[in-house]
Formats: sequence, C-alpha cells, structure tokens
Amino acid sequence: MSNIGWKDVLTDDMPIDLAHEIDIFEGQMELMGQGKLDEKVFAETRLRRGVYGQRYDNGQRHDGFESRELEFDEADRIKGPDTLWHAPGMQRIKVPGGGLSPEQLDVLAQVADEYSDGILHITTRQDIQLHFVHIEDTPDMMRRLAAVGITTREACGNSVRNVTCCHLSGVCRTEVFDATPYSDAFAQFLLGHDDVQDFGRKFKPAFSGCESEACGLVMMHDIGYLAQIKEVDGKPKRGFKVFVGGGLGTVPHQAKVLSEFTSEEEMLPLVQAVARVFARLGEKRNRNRARIKFLVAKLGIDEFRRLVEEERETLPHDDRWTAYLDTLPQYEEKPAKPPTFLNGQVRSTAFNQWFETNVYSQRQEGYSVVTVNLPLGDLTSKQTWELADVARKYVGDNVRATVEQNIVLRWVSDSDLPGLYEELKAIGLGDSGAGTIVDITACPGTDTCKLGIASSRGLAGELRTRLTAKSASLPDAIKDLKIKISGCFNSCGQHHVSDIGFFGNSRRSGNFKMPHFQVVLGGRWRDNAGSYGLAVGAVPSKTVPEVVDIITNRYIDERAKGETFQDWIGRIGKKEARGMIQPFMKLPAFEQEPDYFSDWGDPRVFSLGDIGIGECAGEVVSLFSMEISPAESEAFEAQIALDENDPARADALAYSSMLKAARALVRTQFLDVGDSPDRIVQEFKGRFFDTELFFDQYAKGKFGQYLLDRHQNPNPNPDNDSAHRLIEEALLFIEATHACESKVGGNVLVEI
Amino acid sequence: MITPHRLSVKFYFEELSVDAEAFIPVFHRWIREDVVPNELLLDVADYKHILDGPAILLVGHEADYVIDFTDGKPGLLYVRKQDLGADLSNALDTTLFQALKGVKLTESDVELQGKLKLRTDGATFVLLDRLNYPNAGSNGDSADPAASAEAHLSDSLAALFGSDATVTRVDNDAREPLTFELLAPSAPDVDTLLSQLGKVN
Repeated sequence: MSNIGWKDVLTDDMPIDLAHEIDIFEGQMELMGQGKLDEKVFAETRLRRGVYGQRYDNGQRHDGFESRELEFDEADRIKGPDTLWHAPGMQRIKVPGGGLSPEQLDVLAQVADEYSDGILHITTRQDIQLHFVHIEDTPDMMRRLAAVGITTREACGNSVRNVTCCHLSGVCRTEVFDATPYSDAFAQFLLGHDDVQDFGRKFKPAFSGCESEACGLVMMHDIGYLAQIKEVDGKPKRGFKVFVGGGLGTVPHQAKVLSEFTSEEEMLPLVQAVARVFARLGEKRNRNRARIKFLVAKLGIDEFRRLVEEERETLPHDDRWTAYLDTLPQYEEKPAKPPTFLNGQVRSTAFNQWFETNVYSQRQEGYSVVTVNLPLGDLTSKQTWELADVARKYVGDNVRATVEQNIVLRWVSDSDLPGLYEELKAIGLGDSGAGTIVDITACPGTDTCKLGIASSRGLAGELRTRLTAKSASLPDAIKDLKIKISGCFNSCGQHHVSDIGFFGNSRRSGNFKMPHFQVVLGGRWRDNAGSYGLAVGAVPSKTVPEVVDIITNRYIDERAKGETFQDWIGRIGKKEARGMIQPFMKLPAFEQEPDYFSDWGDPRVFSLGDIGIGECAGEVVSLFSMEISPAESEAFEAQIALDENDPARADALAYSSMLKAARALVRTQFLDVGDSPDRIVQEFKGRFFDTELFFDQYAKGKFGQYLLDRHQNPNPNPDNDSAHRLIEEALLFIEATHACESKVGGNVLVEI
Repeated sequence: MITPHRLSVKFYFEELSVDAEAFIPVFHRWIREDVVPNELLLDVADYKHILDGPAILLVGHEADYVIDFTDGKPGLLYVRKQDLGADLSNALDTTLFQALKGVKLTESDVELQGKLKLRTDGATFVLLDRLNYPNAGSNGDSADPAASAEAHLSDSLAALFGSDATVTRVDNDAREPLTFELLAPSAPDVDTLLSQLGKVN
C-alpha cells in the first residue's frame, strides 16, 4: 500500500480548521475501534459529521420468509447502539442553499463512484446523500470534499441542519430581495457555534425571498426567514419576518411569527438567542417532544418571544453579528454569458414541452433558470461530471439543488436554451415536466432508511412512469398538481404540503401484513408551505396509482372554474374525500391478491421486521461527553505524532487536548467560556482548581497542575522525552476531568 | 503494484431479452439462498428510472453486481470494494474470478436461463482509485501508474484470454477513473476461464 494518502495530497487545499476536525474524527474512529469511546458518544459524533446509519445496519434482514443475520466480519464491533461497524451507511453532505459549483460537482461525482454506489441523491432539504458507504472511507471522502469547500459537519445529529434557501433567490420575479447572502452568513455563523451544540433534537432553518410562492417553505421549518423591507427614518431597511416552531414530522405544526421585522443587523443575534432558549428549555429526554415546535407550543409564542428577547439582552457581543454586512455590497452572481433572446429560433415539439415546464424566465431580461428534472432526485457519477461541464459552458458557478430534488442552472442566456436542452438530453437529463405531477418527491423510504415502512421510492417510480406515459393528455388542472411521498409518518417526503400526499404504513389482512399508504389531500405548497393536507384514509400500496386516477378524475369533473385542488378538497370535505378511496380500503386475503402483500420494486413478502431505531433518537449523551471526546482523540493523535518522531506536534496536540478537556468541564457550568486558552485556563482554575473540585483524594491537585504548568511555561523546543511526558500528563488530566465531571455532575444533556 | 481502492469489470450482454426489472426478484433470491460463496450479499437497489445508468444493483459487502446500461451498453458489472488482496495482481485475479462466477450464475439462473448471454471476448476494467491510479495523461515514465497498470493488465489478461487479447487504455475524461478495454478475439468460455483462475485462487 502507498504511504501517501488523501490527507497528504490535499493538505494545502483544505481549510486548516476543517482538516483538523476531520483528523479528530478519524482519531475518534480509531478510539472507537479500540473500544475506548462510549458507543453513544461515538454515534452522536459521527452523526454530527453526516455519517448516518442505513437499513440493515443492525445485521438483520428479512428475506420475505424470515429475519436472517447478515454475517459481517467482526460482528461485535459497533459504531453506535445496535449498529455494526462494517455495515454500510449513508453519508449526508451539506449544501447550504443548494449552491454548487462545477468543481464541486466533479468531486462529488468522484467520491460517489469511489465510496458509494455511484449515485448522488438530492434530498428535500438541498443536501446530497450517498448510500452504501463504508465508515472507514468517510475521512478521506470528507477531505476530498473539504478541498472544494464542502463540509459534512452537522449534516445529521442534534444540530443546525442544512440552511435551505429558495433556489430562485436573486433571480425571482416576485422576491423582495435576494436572501442568498443572508442565508450563507447564517449558515457560516451557526456552523459549529457553541450555542448550537446542546439541542435535544435537530434544528432546520430556511430562507425565503417572497411570501406567496413556495419559495423556502418557511412555514414548515424550525426557524424561517421571509425577506421584508421596512421604512425606517424615511429610508428602506432590509430585514426579515421571522417564523419559529414550524415542522412536519408525525405532528405537523405551522410556524408562528416570532418577529414581524428583524433587521439584518439583528438576524444573527436573534437566532443565537433562540438557540440558547431552545438548548436551555427544550425537551432532552423524550425525543418525540424535543423539536422546538413543542417548546413553542408549550410556552406559547408570546412567552417564547419574551424569553428570546430577554436572552438577547444578555448575549455577549460578537463582531460577527454585523461583519457579514460589509460583504453584502460585493455579493453578486456572475453570468457566464451576456443576455440574449430566443426569438426566431426553430424549436422542436420536445423542446417546447421542456421549455414550458423546465424554464423560468428570470427577473433579469435575457436570462432563464433551467430545471434539470432528476427522477427520484438521482443522478449518476457520470451524469454529474457531464452536468458539471454543461454548467461550465452555459452558467459557470450558478448551480443549485432544490427542495424538490432537482438541480437548477441559473443565468442561462436565453438563446442558449435549445443547445442546452440538447446537451441535457444527450446525458439523460432532458426530462420535461419539472414541477408538475410527474415530478414526484420521495424520501428514501424502505430502500435505505431504517425507519421506512413502505417503499416511497418504489411508488414514486411507478407513478412517474404511468403519469409520464399519459402526460400529454392530462388536463392542465392536473398537470400542475404536486405529489409527495414519505415512507413513514416522519414526513421526510413532505407529504403534508402537497396536493396529493402519501405516507407509508401497514395493515394486517389475515396472518399477513400489507404495505399501505395513508392518503393526505389538499396541502398547500405555495405560500411557503401555507397549509397542511387532510389525512383521509390508508389504501394498499398497490392500489395507489388507481387511487390517484380516481381523485384526479373527480377533481376534473367537479371543480368549479378556477377552483384549486385545495379549495375543492375543502369544499367536498373529509367525508366525501374519504368516500373516494373507501372502495380501496377493503383488504383482500393473501390468496386472492398475493401481489398486494409485497411492495413496489420489492418482491419479498412484506414485513415490518427490518425497521430499526432511527439514529436521531433514543439515547441521552451529556454535552460534556460530546465535548471531551475530541480531547481524547487529540491525545491519541499526539501519541501518533510522537511515534512519527514529531515532538513539537505531539507537544502541541497534548496541550490542546488538555485545553479541550478543561473547556468541556468548564462548559458544564459556564457555556460562554469561548475558545481563548487564557480564558479557558482562568475559568478552569477559578471554578475547579482553586475550589479543589478537581482534586483527587490522593493526588490532590497534581493532575490539574499539569495544565496550569504547560499553559504558563510552554516548552519552546520540545524533544521526544518532554513530549512523551506531556502526553502522559494529558492522559492523566483527561482522566481526572472525567472523574471531576462524574463527581460534580454535568448538568447539560443532549439526546441522539 | 498497489492494490486499488476498488476494481470493477464489466462483461457485456450478447443477448438480453428480459427487462432490467426481471433481475430484482432474482437478486433477492440470491441473497436469500446465499448463492455467492465468500461474499456477503446485502440488498437490491432499483435505479432503473435512470437513463443509461446502473439499473439494478445487488449490493454486497465485498462487491456489488450491477445490471448496468451505462453508455447504452448493457452488461453485468462487478465492482470489488473490499478484500481485494495485497496488490493489483491479487485484486485483478479476485475481481475477475468473482465476476466470472457472477456471469455463470446469471446465465444459469433458473429464471433467466435462455434469456440472456454474456460475452467473454471483451470486457471493461476500471481502477476506482484516483489517488494511486490517477487518470492523467501518460508522461512516458515507466513509473507512471497508468502505464504500469496497462502493462500489468495486458500481461495478466493475455495469459488468461489468449495471446491475441489486447488491453487498451480508454481515452476518457481525466475526472473519470482509469479505464481499460479488453478485446479477446479467441476468448475461452467461462468455465475454462474460471478453471484457469481457480488455479491462481
């Protein structure tokens, strides 16, 4: 094997902080392999690097007859509770606002074919997911992504997830202003921020430029920002209407207005205050009640707002709150080509169909946004670098992923549209129908998700095939309907906010279980996910295509002129709506319809035996445990540096590990300690050393003194002996920190 | 030579009279019946909605079996991901042996028998390892990994597929993995190839 790895090759290309974080993660993997790290702590650690579990990773799989063990090597080696080390998993990659450059697409394509199954999947929150990834490949994958400015940090786990932003921001004809640079600043500010490390559950933000379009879907997010301009002292002032406590999931909540207008200067301190209130008062032990929507509902929006305002007053000032404003005047997107017009060019019928559904005329004359309609959100590695080349040729860096699992190319000069269409078609990405009834959204469901009940992707694929075949004859009123499918009640497919939504469940018929989908009608995608649909009943999975036909045909027959699908459902009411699907709710016996007892694209007799425990759930890990884990990893790295005859690096890492451990301990009492070594040592000394809380019964203050000594008297020229000694001291210091925390009792908990 | 991170080989269909979907129940049965010795089969992934891509995957721990339509050329793609061996030579032997076993399994499967045939007079080999085997332009240096790999594959495959077999580096985009085409006008049948490889394995 070569001694040169991606770490060496990419050293100069990765941001130093990010490179170091990845090294720490690799060290934690090593410690986990040696059994030196708690399984729950490691699980949350990897989740916060986007390394997620996947179906069957508990080593069990139902083959249609019985549940069978998957005999992985080292079956006792795990990467979290009930999760086998060698079982493949999912890697989620954060893409803030969905923004991608051709260079990033190239690297994503490369890591997909080297580390996953060669398929890139766009999620409903503008992330990219790779499946069937081996955990030991993840550090190098992260390095390759880091080298092109992509991080997987906090893509999963109880943290601030990808910050989404309307894919039309900046080119939209109806927006108040471009929310993109604000969404970027927000994402950068909160990434790894101390105040977002102690949530009971995940926290999803979204940005929108306008109110009436679907845009950023702010009403269904934990926190949502809607661009506003307000006149202040006779001058227009930019800011946001801020919503909080929205969410789908099992129990959907519409977000409440936290602030009618928050100025751009206050955008970041406000979210910091929200984060602190959520961390302090949000539920930690019962994951089913731990999202911020439950806290807002419990306290009431007025009390929640009061607490946030109170918190805001006590926040220590941070220059970053307003520093980003200086960069706003420079923010601009550069089109690759000058504006042109399409007039006079000969157009094929196929082009016209595509143009009608996949092209959005930008606010900027002569330019359009083209939607690349990805079936089920998937594209291959090969298609990805081919798409990167198309982007280079026509739009440069102006590429974004969308929450409808597509990719858009922005700033296409209009006369290029026919040529662009031909090039997309040549790489299998020229499907028309973007944003229409054939462009179905679906979460991974039983294909790869541990929580999936029914095959959302299988159903979506089937509906897409059937509806595409008859799309030319579909009435206009139906063409624009949206279908969204989730594999279970957790709503990752966003079924609540579609015209016709489905989520997977099951029913029993005789001795067999039958895959079903609950039918949810009349949700509103527009108005930022303005209202949620009505669950009317569950039907067998295999009847869903017929159910869709019955519902859409009746809508065509009965709708009044101009009546929307939502209005029609509202008019006929739940009873009538249920009546439409009632004939399908009678379940046949296995002998009558055996096909009903298997799912789309999966011939196995249906079972719930493969459902696992979601990795967002279940265990309680203290903030201290999460924060001391990197200290242990650094101490381990220090030993490696010493083995590599690099005493200076070993000394620095050992010292840094002590600081991290001390910081973790201090933060059990004082969250705002910050990152300054002087401050950490000062707080440690005042709170734990001088008070003798850190003292061991026999060794007294000896272990704490190690940190104080190294901090006061750094060795300018450490040799192997001194570095070795410091590493030993660091290990003892970390042990003493654990002992102290156990004795004093950490008071901050996180749930994974 | 260094073991590549992954190595794949694709054999092309001479005949294929079933839809890609037909492989789904077959692959599920392969998992249930544990038909591939020394490999752990995990799941079936359905990507037939992607035009000219990997339509149906039998995902395994050590390797994936793919009914692959990339570039409009249907074939059985075998991607070796784990336990490739100590060097390129081992990796090639292991990959080829298991891929040919896959060819045999596919052709003789009770549900597929007579509905397809794979050819052994040509195949595509891909070294999925851009670190150790970058797909860069050759600099004429004998230490150039691409040139060395080409020479290695030529020798190994000629010994197996016949002296008239040729291995040519595919002139593809530098972002794509290093790829070689095998042409073997007088290729032996699968059993003979397996028998020869079996002596190595």
